[in-house]
Amino acid sequence: MKIIDVALKDMLRSFRNMFFLMFGLGVPLLMSGIFYFAFGGLGGDGGFEVPQTRVQIVNLDEPVAEYGDFSAGQMLVEFLQTEELSDLMAITKAPDAASARAAVDDQEAGVALIIPAGLSASVFDPAGETAIEMYQDPTLTLGPGIVKSIVSQFVDTLAGSKIAANVAHERLPEQGVTVDAAILQEIAMQYSNWSFSLGEGGADALLDVRSPLGKKDTDQMVGIVGLIMAGMMIFYAFFTGAASAGTILQEEESGTLARLFTTPTPQSTILGGKFIAVFALIAVQLAVLMPISSVIFGTDWGAPLPLALAALALVILAASFGIFIVSLLKDTRQSGIVYGGVMTALGLLGISSVFTMNVPYVSPIVETLPLIVPQGWAMRAMRLVMEGGGVSDVLLTVGVMLALSLVFFLIGVFMFKKRFA
Amino acid sequence: MNNNKAIQVQDLHKNFGDVYAVQGVSFDVQAGEIFSLLGPNGAGKTTIISMLACLLEPTQGDALVMGHSILREPMAVKQAIGVVPQEIALYEDLSARENLTFWGKMYGLRGGPLKQREPLRFPSLSDRVDEVLEVVGLKDRQKGRVSKFSGGMKRRLNIGIALLHRPEVIIMDEPTVGIDPQSRRNILDNVKEMNRQGTTVLYTTHYMEEAQELSDHVAIMDHGKVIAYGTHDELVKIVGELDRIDLTISAESAQVIEQWQATEGVHQITAEDGELTLLVDDSNIVLPRLFESATQAGVRITSVEIQEPNLEAVFLHLTGRALRDE
Repeated sequence: MKIIDVALKDMLRSFRNMFFLMFGLGVPLLMSGIFYFAFGGLGGDGGFEVPQTRVQIVNLDEPVAEYGDFSAGQMLVEFLQTEELSDLMAITKAPDAASARAAVDDQEAGVALIIPAGLSASVFDPAGETAIEMYQDPTLTLGPGIVKSIVSQFVDTLAGSKIAANVAHERLPEQGVTVDAAILQEIAMQYSNWSFSLGEGGADALLDVRSPLGKKDTDQMVGIVGLIMAGMMIFYAFFTGAASAGTILQEEESGTLARLFTTPTPQSTILGGKFIAVFALIAVQLAVLMPISSVIFGTDWGAPLPLALAALALVILAASFGIFIVSLLKDTRQSGIVYGGVMTALGLLGISSVFTMNVPYVSPIVETLPLIVPQGWAMRAMRLVMEGGGVSDVLLTVGVMLALSLVFFLIGVFMFKKRFA
Repeated sequence: MNNNKAIQVQDLHKNFGDVYAVQGVSFDVQAGEIFSLLGPNGAGKTTIISMLACLLEPTQGDALVMGHSILREPMAVKQAIGVVPQEIALYEDLSARENLTFWGKMYGLRGGPLKQREPLRFPSLSDRVDEVLEVVGLKDRQKGRVSKFSGGMKRRLNIGIALLHRPEVIIMDEPTVGIDPQSRRNILDNVKEMNRQGTTVLYTTHYMEEAQELSDHVAIMDHGKVIAYGTHDELVKIVGELDRIDLTISAESAQVIEQWQATEGVHQITAEDGELTLLVDDSNIVLPRLFESATQAGVRITSVEIQEPNLEAVFLHLTGRALRDE
């Protein structure tokens, strides 16, 4: 069929065109790769990884026999060695404070924790005061900060237990309750347990690791790189649509379009074939970019069926918009201005939600503004799918995209028919 | 089709707003002949070609190509003609073979045998492409990208595309513009060969010598009208026995030109950049008078050429202007 011959000819010419290969395939992957390597592999499984901190710990605390050999120092050591904290800290017991500090100085550890003698005793002494020393590598910030935060929360719990014990010691006798060491210890322990139970339990409550997206649901957390890849793909898909449709202007100027019109091939077949090529090239672009980004960057594109719907709608919308835009242009000189300025501006506006995803509070206007351009609707559809949405979640957006496509396509066809009448 | 007329142009008009590009043009092209439209740039030749190729709709009038109306049966007209446009219209990022294959498909050629007007049936599109590559002398370069071709090679391929479907009429719009003499010679020989094989050729040009060499009939055009039509001999008779003298003078002098215009025996003078063309009764008598006037005016005549009456002289006689490459 002649319409397919025209489409295949255009596609062949595009695949030989360095501009298409670069801006259709190369640049989207390059841009996403830059972000991927900048974030160090971020977003593959949606999680933010904190580097493990090496901690040298010295426990100089002595158990308090009066309170059943209670040892706050030993509690702290055991707590820091729990499995839940093993990703954050690698604990090594040092023989003494000096060697612990030396390990930090020699950069064999990031932090040295020195639990003083008398820590446990100070818990039960109303006037008792003591301090846990933390000696850190000054070049590190995140790791020591986390260690400090965890230890501080533990110490706060101890302090709370001490206060609870003191209050009980003062108040219970007024109620005729005899308070001994065992009761005080029991009160302290119950307070500690209650304090820990305020969060989700155990070490999990002391540090909540989240990605910059701010979303708690790690099952459906969208990787940063994944969204960037989606944004780049949409941005350049619309470019491909306009550039492919722009070959109509190129052929008009080179004379091959007029020559085509001298052949016994209907004008509708010639233009139809060119339009088919526009759709097909964007489809090829998506078909290449999506799998490659999945393999290289670990991008999770979402469930297959809603993804297929969103991708198909993107192909149709980008192609129709390209045909529409080119139908308004006079010649290839104007197309240069349009590609460089107009398409860039519209594309950036449409995918701007990618740049605001780290911002905690985004104005509703900023969230809605991208929807004034077709790229915004495409980005919305992709985002819904990549955030775990199903077919029903994305259907309305896809419907809007298809409606816009129809409008753009009909206007474009009308303008071209008028031009070549 | 009326008798043996391949093309019948009937009172064609074409306006672009207030610009009358073609005004009441009529002529017939006999089947199997080479017919030239001769005229300067802007005469309306390309506009007529565009209408015959069904690219432009006439404002008024009609034309029949192999019996098919350009207004009512454009597809049939397009199937019967092959058009060689003035500007090279090729896909430069495709090879010669790929170009021919694509354009062949646009003319309806496919892999299998096809219906032809002649009992001759040529094989598949692929074989026809081989034939055309041979005819235009590009067989060795068939896989090369057109962007790497010379201007002459591109012109030959440009012509080859029009030959693919063995059209009954080939329309060539100034195919030799801007190419080297060897390539031009090659194209002119190709035109004669096509015609020898029975193809009717409608050829537009502003080169008088091409029209003279190739054509059975010539229509001379100026400002959208056919100002003269006929065979070479018939047209030359318009200027009668006038001789044409081409002169080059050392410095353009309005005074000497004025004197020459008043000289007995001089009918017409055109001057441009020191080159003058005169139509005179008898060059042997008039030439001494011209030299005398030039000497008196202090102007040197640096070259003289006397020619038999030709189409350029006819154009000069009819329009008062030279048929020059603008």
